[in-house]
Amino acid sequence: MVETLLTESNAASHLEARGVHVWFGQRQVLQDVNLVFPSNQVTALIGPSGCGKSTFIRTLNRMHELIPGAGFAGQILLDGKDIYEDGTDAVDVRLRVGMVFQKPNPFPTMSIRENVLAGLRLTGKKNPNMDELVETSLRRASIWNEVKDRLNDPALSLSGGQQQRLCIARSLAMDPAVLLMDEPCSALDPGSTRRVEETIEELADQMTIVIVTHNMQQAQRVSHQTAFFLSEDGNPGGVVEFGTTEQVFNQPVDPRTNDYVNGHFG
Amino acid sequence: MTATQVQTSTMKPTNPWAKRNKARTRDVVIASLLPGILAVVFFFVGTALGATIDPAVLLIIGFLPAQLLAAFLVGRKYYGRHGREDALLIVVTIFLSTFVMVLLLSVLWSVISAGALALRPSFILQNSHYISGTTSLEYGGAGHAILGTVMAVAITTILTVPLGFGIAVYLTETGGKARGVIRTLIQAMSGLPSVVSGLFIYSILVLQGWQPSGFTGSLALLPLMLPTVSRVSEEALRLVPVDLRNGALALGSPTWQAFAKVVFPAARSGLLTAVLLGVARIVGETAPLVLTTTYNNDTNLNPFNGPMAMLPTFIFGYIRNMYDTSIQRGWGGCLVIMILVGVLFVGARVANRKKK
Repeated sequence: MVETLLTESNAASHLEARGVHVWFGQRQVLQDVNLVFPSNQVTALIGPSGCGKSTFIRTLNRMHELIPGAGFAGQILLDGKDIYEDGTDAVDVRLRVGMVFQKPNPFPTMSIRENVLAGLRLTGKKNPNMDELVETSLRRASIWNEVKDRLNDPALSLSGGQQQRLCIARSLAMDPAVLLMDEPCSALDPGSTRRVEETIEELADQMTIVIVTHNMQQAQRVSHQTAFFLSEDGNPGGVVEFGTTEQVFNQPVDPRTNDYVNGHFG
Repeated sequence: MTATQVQTSTMKPTNPWAKRNKARTRDVVIASLLPGILAVVFFFVGTALGATIDPAVLLIIGFLPAQLLAAFLVGRKYYGRHGREDALLIVVTIFLSTFVMVLLLSVLWSVISAGALALRPSFILQNSHYISGTTSLEYGGAGHAILGTVMAVAITTILTVPLGFGIAVYLTETGGKARGVIRTLIQAMSGLPSVVSGLFIYSILVLQGWQPSGFTGSLALLPLMLPTVSRVSEEALRLVPVDLRNGALALGSPTWQAFAKVVFPAARSGLLTAVLLGVARIVGETAPLVLTTTYNNDTNLNPFNGPMAMLPTFIFGYIRNMYDTSIQRGWGGCLVIMILVGVLFVGARVANRKKK
């Protein structure tokens, strides 16, 4: 099993955002976000462009602070421990909370195999079964069959959809407890999208997943719970509605949620 | 066979956008040639009639306006308003780029034609130990100066590159508070006259008792190379997509590892350019070396001991002599510098490609 491959194994973690406020410079972009991401659940973040979904997801693994002028208030509890607490190293947080970006970003100077192992190399971790880890990670990202004969080809020789699944495999090789996905399918064709969605379903057994998506059908297909973000009239964004995916899409409490999920605006 | 298959098999690729209208082609040819022909005729007829015509003045106040007018008219006739603007821009662009090309090629040609007289195997392999200003070109050469230049430039490069890359990394990868100040200082440094750099080393080292040597020369070249290396490598690092950096950090990579294993390799080609431009900046510098390495007619393989010949000071020394043979030796030195830089650049590019 994959868990035995790494010296330190991560089980799926429980993640919780408490009273999260976010600023860029003087401008507040998120106000009082409170969300709970139970372990092994897939949570979809939906909402129109510019409402702060991507900003929020980046606070969950401390990628937010890399933006100059970024400000933050609140708590992100990973298994009950605040990741912004004094003395917590952002690097350790990111080891447990992996991330897949909107645009595929394989490392251009590395081969497919090297990309999968990049996390180990970058963090100086050792693994005695490199070949096995490469195969398992690529299988979990359902791209193994397409690349098994060309592992030493440059990563950029892959198509966009394959590159994205390679990036997922790269994150999985680090065996994260939480996987954040920021519109992972926005640059992909329907075939690749379907495979990524299948991957998400399989991964939910082993980790907690948060996915930002603009695709309503995708949110309904892959997620257990959904949070609807909205930023109105230049006010900071916030969560309008949060509940099970079933409830948010079929019996929304807030009329704005109803309008959005039915395509009336946004 | 279906109808569409028949149709596709009889279709031939055409370039409808490249269709030429005969009248238009004729007018464009006339508009391109006529001003030039008129200018040439004017020049020869005028000269034959006894007038003194400066070709450069004729080019600027006669030919160029006529060419612009011709292009303007043809452009307006066939393409309307945007046509005349395009035509003017095209003429100005071609005129200016030709001007620069002619300048460049004439410099290149002077160096090659004059330097070729001196260039021969002995010129590369021998030093000038027994050579006076009037010795025949068959004897002696710039070998000692080539070695000196290679050594001094190598020392400067070894000292400058880590420093320049360090500055570039500080400016791009960190949020350091001194970035603005350092960027301004580096920009100011790139305007530093090279003789000032030489005087600086001269006053703080040579006047304090250090002997002029290859090493003091290298130190005088350092402030000249540093701004080029750091600015070009800063641009190279800035071109690496932020997504790659974030991709590495999101895997839990420490910042330093993300830089060393992802950003740096991705910027490698640009960083190589930075080093090459830095070398090109200093390889022909003369003024700082006259003060800090002075002259030597003999081979000196120890850059830390005693005056050392370098190609720029070799050229300068011989050209100051008013004898024909020594001036030709100077031209030979110029050609050797050019060849040296050419070999270095091509070699570095080939090595970089092979590694990929």
